[in-house]
Amino acid sequence: MTDLTGSVDPAGPPGPAAGDLPEAAVRRLQSDAFSSGLTVPDFAACLDLGLEPVALVQGFCVMQWGWYGPGSGYMRGMSPYAVASGGGGGYSETYRCPHGFVSAEHRTWGQNLEQPWVEAAWTQGYGSAYARMIEEATDMGAHGVIGVVDRVGTLADTGNTEFHFLGTAVKVDGGQPPAGGVPWSTYLAGQRLTKSIEAGFMPVAVVASLASVRVWAYCMTEYLMEGQVGMGWGGYASSGPQLVDQVSKAHMAARQLARKHVREQLVGDELHGATIDVATRELAQGDEVIDCTLRGNRVRRFKDFDPIAAPRPTVRLG
Amino acid sequence: MTDPTPEAAVPVARDLPKDAAHRLEELEHGLFTSDLSVNEFLLVKEAGFHPLGFVMGSSIYHIGIQTRKWGESQELSKLTEAMYTARELAMTRMEEEAQELGADGVVGVRLDVNYYEWGNDSAEFIAFGTAVKAEDGNSYLNALGKPFTSDLSGQDFWTLMQTGHVPQGLVMGTCVFHIAHRKLTQALGSMGQNVELPNFTQALYEARELAMTRMQDEAGQLNASGIVGVRLEEKSHQWGSHTIEFLALGTAVTKTTGEVTLPKPTTIISLDN
Repeated sequence: MTDLTGSVDPAGPPGPAAGDLPEAAVRRLQSDAFSSGLTVPDFAACLDLGLEPVALVQGFCVMQWGWYGPGSGYMRGMSPYAVASGGGGGYSETYRCPHGFVSAEHRTWGQNLEQPWVEAAWTQGYGSAYARMIEEATDMGAHGVIGVVDRVGTLADTGNTEFHFLGTAVKVDGGQPPAGGVPWSTYLAGQRLTKSIEAGFMPVAVVASLASVRVWAYCMTEYLMEGQVGMGWGGYASSGPQLVDQVSKAHMAARQLARKHVREQLVGDELHGATIDVATRELAQGDEVIDCTLRGNRVRRFKDFDPIAAPRPTVRLG
Repeated sequence: MTDPTPEAAVPVARDLPKDAAHRLEELEHGLFTSDLSVNEFLLVKEAGFHPLGFVMGSSIYHIGIQTRKWGESQELSKLTEAMYTARELAMTRMEEEAQELGADGVVGVRLDVNYYEWGNDSAEFIAFGTAVKAEDGNSYLNALGKPFTSDLSGQDFWTLMQTGHVPQGLVMGTCVFHIAHRKLTQALGSMGQNVELPNFTQALYEARELAMTRMQDEAGQLNASGIVGVRLEEKSHQWGSHTIEFLALGTAVTKTTGEVTLPKPTTIISLDN
C-alpha cells in the first residue's frame, strides 16, 4: 500500500488565494456526516483503497468574458500587424497576399496569433476555482481530493463564464494528519484510481491549460475555405481538395501550445489520462478562434510497475 | 433566512386513493410489481431483500411567483420552499405506500417534475420506486421509524451493502436563486478586461452551498454517517434563465458492521464484440 498521506508540492494550476467560505459552507463542512459525490462503485473502491470520504468540496469563479481585448470584434479593420505588435507575444505567424493588388474586399494580410490575454483570464478563473476547492479540502484536514469534475460554462445569459470545481475530499484511514502540505487531487476515482496506484503512480494534482489561437484569414485562406480557388486566380487555379495551410497550422499551434502550457506545470512529473477538447468559433467571416483545452492528472511514480493479474476471458450470455 | 425544515414543511398525508389501496392489497397477497430490471432484481435478492411492489407518491403544487430585484443576486425563499415541500410531499406519500406494504425500504427511487399545459404555474412532482423487505427478519427502518428510501439501482444497492453500509434515506436540499442582471454601467466599467466578478462567484457559491447544507441537515436528522452519490442539478424550469433551482440529492447511509465484504474485483477481458 502506498503512502497517500504525504503532502505534495504546492501543485495545481496557478491562481490567487481564495476568499472566505460562505456561512452555509462552514456549517456543512462542520457536520458529522460525510458527503461524497462518488457513485456507489467508486465509493466501494475508495474504501477498499483505505480512503475515507470526508466531504464534497467545491470551488467557483465567475469571470467576465468579453472579447474586448486586442483583436476583438470592434477592432476589426485594423491591420493585423497593429494587433501583433500589441498582442503581448506568444505564437504568431503572418501571411502575405501573393496577388499584389489592394482593394477593400481583398485581404492582403493574414495572421495566426496566440491570444495570451484569453489564456491568462482562463488560467485565472480555473486556478481560482481550483484553489478554493483545495482550500475547502485543506480546512477539512483532507489528504487528497478524488473524482474531481470541472465545468466551464456560461452563466445564465449574462455572457459571463463560470468555472466550477467539484470533488470528494478524502482522508487516509488511520493516517497521520497532513503535515501542512497541500492536498493532492485527481480526476480519477474508483477502480481507475486503484489501477493507477497499482501501476505505481501517486496522484499529485489535476492540471489543465487553454490555448487560444486567433485566425485572421488572408485572401488565399478565404478562397480555399469557400472552395473558390479555380475561379480564375491565374497561377493558383487548381481543382480538387487542397490543404488550407493557415488554418491547419493554427490547429497544430493550438494543440502544441496547450501541451506546452501543461508541460510547464508538470515540473518533471508525468501526465496521465489526458483529454483534449478543441472548440472553434467563427466570430466573423474569415475571423476564427480555436480554443484547445488539455486536462489530465499529474502523477508521480513511487514504485515500479506491478503487473496486474492476467484478465479472465469472459463471454456475456444474452 | 429560515430553512425549510422537513418538520415544518411536510403535512402528514394519510390519504391514499382507493385504487391505490386496492392495488396495494393485491400486492400483499404475494403478487408483486416492480420496475427493477432482471439483473437488479437478482442483486436485490442477493443482498437479502425481496421486492414487495412498485410504490409512488405525487403532489401537484402551485408554484407562485416572487418579486425579485433586477440587479441583485438573492435566494427566492418562497420558491425554494414550494419546490422543497412539493417533493417532500410526493416522497412522504410514496413512503406511506411502502409502509402500507410493511416494507423496509424503497430502492431505485426517481423524482420527476412534470409541467402540463393545463397547470398554470403548477407542476406535478412524482416519486416512485420499488418497495423491498428484508428476508432475514431484521428491521431496516431508518432512524425516524420509516422505510428507507434511496435512488440507488439494484447494482449499487448490493455494492453498498457489501461495504458495510445501509441506506437511510434519499436526502435533498434545494435553493431557488435569482442571478442578478448586470447594470450597463457596471458592464461598461469593466469593459476591455477579462476579470473575476466576485459578486457572482459568491452568489453561486452560496446558492449551491445552501442546497447542500440543507441536504446535509436532512442526513443529520437520520443520524446518517454520510451521504453517497451526491448530485447537484441545476434547472431553470419555467422561470427564465436568471432564476435557477439548485438541487442537491444523495443517499444518506449508516455504517453497520464496518466490515467491507466486497470481494477483490477480477479483471476480465470481454470476448464479445
